[in-house]
Amino acid sequence: MNEPPKEGIKYVETTVRLPYHYVAGDYKALYLLALKEKRILGSKCDTTGKVFVPPIVASPESFAPCSQLVEVADRGVVTTFCVVNIPVIGRNLELPYVAASVALDGAAISIFALIQECKPQDVHMGMRVEAVWKPDGERQGDHEDIQYFRPTGEPDAPPETYINRL
Amino acid sequence: MSKLRNVAVVGFAQLPVVARDEHRTATEMLYPVVRQALQECGVHRDGIDYQIAGSTDYMDGRPFGFVAALDVMGAWPPRQDLHLEMDASFCAYYAWVRMQAGECDTAIVVGHGKTSEGDPQRVLNLQLDPYYQAPLGLDPTSTAALQASAFLARGAATAADLAAVAARNRNNGVRNPDNQLRSPTTANELAQSPWAVEPLRQGYLPPVGETATCMVLAAEGKAETLCDKPVWIHGVDHRTELQTLGARDLSRSAGAKLAAERALAMAGLAKAGDVDVIELMAANPAEELILLEALGVDPRAGKPSINPSGGALCANPVMSTGLIRLGETFRQLSGRAGEHGVAGASRALAHAAQGHCLQTNIFWVVGSQRRWS
Amino acid sequence: MTQAAPTAAPLSQRQKMEFPYKHSTGPTIGRFYAGLKEQKKIWGQRVAGQGVVVPPLGYSEIDASEAGEWVEVSDRGTLTAVALVHHPIADLHPSAKPFAFVLVKLDGADTALAHIVSDNLDTAKVGARVQAVWAADDKRSGTLRDIESFRVVG
Repeated sequence: MNEPPKEGIKYVETTVRLPYHYVAGDYKALYLLALKEKRILGSKCDTTGKVFVPPIVASPESFAPCSQLVEVADRGVVTTFCVVNIPVIGRNLELPYVAASVALDGAAISIFALIQECKPQDVHMGMRVEAVWKPDGERQGDHEDIQYFRPTGEPDAPPETYINRL
Repeated sequence: MSKLRNVAVVGFAQLPVVARDEHRTATEMLYPVVRQALQECGVHRDGIDYQIAGSTDYMDGRPFGFVAALDVMGAWPPRQDLHLEMDASFCAYYAWVRMQAGECDTAIVVGHGKTSEGDPQRVLNLQLDPYYQAPLGLDPTSTAALQASAFLARGAATAADLAAVAARNRNNGVRNPDNQLRSPTTANELAQSPWAVEPLRQGYLPPVGETATCMVLAAEGKAETLCDKPVWIHGVDHRTELQTLGARDLSRSAGAKLAAERALAMAGLAKAGDVDVIELMAANPAEELILLEALGVDPRAGKPSINPSGGALCANPVMSTGLIRLGETFRQLSGRAGEHGVAGASRALAHAAQGHCLQTNIFWVVGSQRRWS
Repeated sequence: MTQAAPTAAPLSQRQKMEFPYKHSTGPTIGRFYAGLKEQKKIWGQRVAGQGVVVPPLGYSEIDASEAGEWVEVSDRGTLTAVALVHHPIADLHPSAKPFAFVLVKLDGADTALAHIVSDNLDTAKVGARVQAVWAADDKRSGTLRDIESFRVVG
C-alpha cells in the first residue's frame, strides 16, 4: 500500500490542565474579610463620590481613584430580577428561584443576589430586601457568607431612587 | 518610500518588574501606570483618541480577562478600543497604523498580565499546534533550547559566547531600576549555573516576572504638545514564520532579517549599524545572537549599544517585554534613561518577538528628529 | 499616584483549571495518525516549496498550495536539534526522568519531526542517527506517541 489508511483517526482528545495562584488584591481581600464581620465594604470615587460594591481601585466612569473604603448597608432594593427555571451547574437550588440585582443602601451599583423567603411571583422592581447572613462562627469571608436576601416588608422604593443603580 | 505621517512616542510608564505582586491584580497594577503615563504627558484621558491592550486570557486564567482592564484605562464615555493577544509592542503597531489612516491622533498602548498567577511554561505550550507539537509537552524553554542547539551546531557561536552575551545583558541591567535582576555577574559565573534545558543554563534565562506598561503615541501636531522630546517613529515592519518548528531553519531568523530590512528601509537607513542603540527582546542569549546576525551587527564592536537596559534577560514580563524595548528607546532618545542612558543617542532600533523560537518579529526604528518633512 | 489606598495582608487562592478539547484532525493529520497506528509507517506529503513534509498538514506552510502525493519515509533519521531536559515538568512533559526534545529529519523527508529521545542522552547530539521506537501493536492508538521515542543508533 503506497498510502496511509483511507480512514483516518478522527479526533485528538486532550485535557489542558493549568494551575493558577490568583491574587485577590487588597481591596477584595478587605471586602471578603469584612463579610466575616457582617459588614459590606465599597470604595468611594474621589471625584464623583459614587460608591462601588465590591470595592474597585478606580472608577470606570470618571477614571479617578477610589481611595476610600466605606461601609454600605446590608439591605437595599431589587433593581432588576429574573426567575430561573433551568438548573445551573454547581448550583443546587430548588426551581424556580429568583436571581436579582440588589442596590444596597449607600451603593451606586448593584450586586447579584438570590431572593428567598417569598414566592418568585411576588418579587418586583423596587422591593426592599435585606441580607440573611450565615450564623456567627460559620462565616468564611467569601460570597456565601450572605446566604440570600429576603423581603423586609418596607414600602417599595420609588423608581427614581434606583433606576440609575441597576 | 512614500511620505508617511510622523508619529511619536510621547510617554511611557511601567512598574518595576517583580516576581509577584501579592497586593494587586493585573488590573490594579495597570491603573497607576496608565495614570502616570498620561500625567507625564499632561493630558487627561479624554484627550486620548484610541486605546489598545495586549494580554492573554490563558495567562490571566479567566476568559475575556482583558475586559476587566477597560475599567482602569478610562474607557468611558465609550472609546475606540482593541485588544490583541500579543506583546503590546504589536499593539503599538496597530495604533500607528490607525494614525497613518488618519483615524486618530493620540493613543494609549498597554500591556498587562500577572505572570505569577499562571504557569508560563504550560500556558505557552498552547501556542503550538494541538496535533504534532503541543501534545509532546514542548514548553518555551525547551523550544528555545532546540533553537540554541541548532544555532550552536551550525558553528555560528560557542557556549562561551552564550555566557558572554548573558553576562553583558545582566551587567547592563544593574543600572536599570525597573529590572527584576539587578545583581552584577560574570560570564564565568553564569556558565557554571545549573542547566535549565541544555544547552541553556538557568543563568541565561530571565525569571518569571510581572509588571504593567503604558505607552502614549501621538501624531505630529499633537506630539509636540504632550512631550518635550517626542521620539519619532521612522520605520516599522513585522514578519511571521512557519508554525512547524521542524520546517524552519531554527538557526536563523529569516523573519527578523526581513522585518529589520523593511523597517530600516522605511527609516531611510542603509544598515542596522547606523543606529546608536538596539533594544532586543531576546529571552536567551542564543536568540540575541540570532537576531544580531539577522541585523548584521557584531555584538563585540561596542557600537551600536545593545540592550543598555539589560534587555529581556533581566526582566521578562509576558505581554510587556517587547513594549518595554520600545519604551526604552523612548527613554534613551528623550533623555529619560537615567543611569543606563547612552550619551548622544539619536537613533535606535527596538524589537519584539512573539511565539516560540522567534516566530514573529517586529522592528521599530525611532529617531529624535521627525522622519518626514 | 498620590492615593494612600488601604492595604491588607495578601490574600490568594490556588485553583486548577481544566479545559477538555476534542480537536478534529481533518483528512490529512487523521490519515498520518492511522498510518502510525495501523501500518507502523511514517507518511509525509510532497509539498510545493518544501519537498517531503513530515509530519504532513495537507497544505504548504510556504504558499498555502494544496499538498501533493503521500510519500512513505523511513523511521530512521538524523537529529537536527536537541534540547536536553534535566528537570522534567510534571503533568506537561512526556517523561518523569531526564529526556531530550529533538527535531528529527527522517530519511526521505525534507522537514524535521519534533519528538523525544529517552535513553542514552549523552549520545543525543545534533547529527546523531536515530531510529523510532514503536509502541506495541496493542498500545498504538493513533497519536504521535505511537512512536514512543527515538533511540540513538550507530
